[in-house]
Amino acid sequence: MITSAALCPSPPLLYPGITGRQAVVPELRAACAEAAGRLVRDETEEIVVVGPAGTTGTWAPASRLDPSLFASAMASTGTPSLPLSLGLGAMLLDEAGYRGRRRLQAIGQDEPASTCARLGAELEMSAARTALLVMGDGSARRTLKAPGYLDPRAAAFDSAVESAVRAGDLDALQRLDPILARELMVTGRPAWQVLSGAMRSSRLRTEILYCDAPFGVAYLVAQVQPA
Amino acid sequence: MSPGETGSGRSRPEPAGLPRQAPQRVLRLGKHAFEPGRLLVMAIVNRTPDSFYRPGVTWDPAAALERVHQVVAEGADIVDIGGVPARPGDDVDVAEEIRRTIPFVTAVRAAYPDVVISVDTWRYEVGRQACAAGADLLNDTWGGWDPRLAEVAAEFGAGVVCSHAGRLPPRTRPFRVAYRDVVDDVLNVTLSLASRALEAGVEHDRILIDPAHDFGKNTWHSLEVTRRLADLAATGWPVLVSVSNKDFVGETLDAPVEDRLAGTLAATAVCAWLGARVFRAHQVRENRDVLSMVSAIRGDIPPARVVRGLA
Repeated sequence: MITSAALCPSPPLLYPGITGRQAVVPELRAACAEAAGRLVRDETEEIVVVGPAGTTGTWAPASRLDPSLFASAMASTGTPSLPLSLGLGAMLLDEAGYRGRRRLQAIGQDEPASTCARLGAELEMSAARTALLVMGDGSARRTLKAPGYLDPRAAAFDSAVESAVRAGDLDALQRLDPILARELMVTGRPAWQVLSGAMRSSRLRTEILYCDAPFGVAYLVAQVQPA
Repeated sequence: MSPGETGSGRSRPEPAGLPRQAPQRVLRLGKHAFEPGRLLVMAIVNRTPDSFYRPGVTWDPAAALERVHQVVAEGADIVDIGGVPARPGDDVDVAEEIRRTIPFVTAVRAAYPDVVISVDTWRYEVGRQACAAGADLLNDTWGGWDPRLAEVAAEFGAGVVCSHAGRLPPRTRPFRVAYRDVVDDVLNVTLSLASRALEAGVEHDRILIDPAHDFGKNTWHSLEVTRRLADLAATGWPVLVSVSNKDFVGETLDAPVEDRLAGTLAATAVCAWLGARVFRAHQVRENRDVLSMVSAIRGDIPPARVVRGLA
């Protein structure tokens, strides 16, 4: 049973200290902290972090992101790193003070929507009161200075995702085109489709906490709860 | 596979090419304690009508104070006030040097209670009045010509710069100077001056050494001192370098004094990489930027704002 879900983006710049002496987009970090904090305060029995990665699979709950992979000056954890999305999700839970049961669930970047939905449905059938922390980003091709340069289709894609989440219409996420998503350098598609599979039967109440693309990558922070 | 998935734990490698250095200690100047790895800019403010770089530009007291405002805003940690040009020229006696520098030290101290004030002099009479007016450091560029200067520093709890001037008298130019090993001589002279300062009672962590580029040296000598600056840093004494727009830069690049900024900054970068900690400079902002860059390359400070590839 899914009690609530949070959506957060997964840029490395969320990791404390990785942007150097200055904090970058502190309002994004604050929104992520707020979303994760609400999950933690929700008295769940388990939080599942769902994040896109190379392949589908679960990671050991004690695993963490190794920030030295991105910034060699930062101390290495000395252990195999989580994929970025799961690593940042685990970090957000740590920062929110969460010590309960956690499951770190990677969903393959190329999994079809049906596979993602099936995984979501499995999570939903859990007997435990379960919350989802769904990690993933919109298009990285929003502007000329974006990592993937400008793709004129990117804004409409991200806008469709935002509208679906805002309206609580998670079915719409099920219809996101994996090929277009890949072309637009969208990382969140499979994770959002897991979320969709997990909560599609519910009437939902949602709140958007952050929605912007300050570096040409679309970041969406939102909370989703059964109404 | 994205970088986050490679999963190999790595520890931070030591910077390649950095010479092994003696453990550096805290440098105390005035009320400040500067940690090793913190690189300091000493801004030159000449109270002279005839120094080599932009002569007379801060001869007017108001212009000099305006320059202090500017260099502090640009990130200078230390202001170095001098009343006598290094080069030969019209005689400047003690009274005149005092007249040029001491009221100005008082004015700078009043305007900036915290900035480190250094006075560039070889004369203990000037040093005494400077310390009484609030100076924190005596920059004895002429290599301990007057031993009483270190005694004055000790008396006031000030610091002192121990320089290698090739045993030349103040305000003289090198004439056919020769060294079997210039770095060896620099080490001998500066270390014995540092010992003398300690014996005079100057606090251990307020003593710096300075190879004094161009002083008693031809351009080959100054280049070698720069190349082997790590030998000075290896002594553990904090090293001050004064390379700004000097003749060794000009002769190396065949550049007139107004065209020496790039060469100066290259020398600043190399000295910083090799372990110098204080950089006496005319162009504060540019030197500050070079030092920030070198510090980040060394891994001593994080970069200001990193987003590229992390968004």
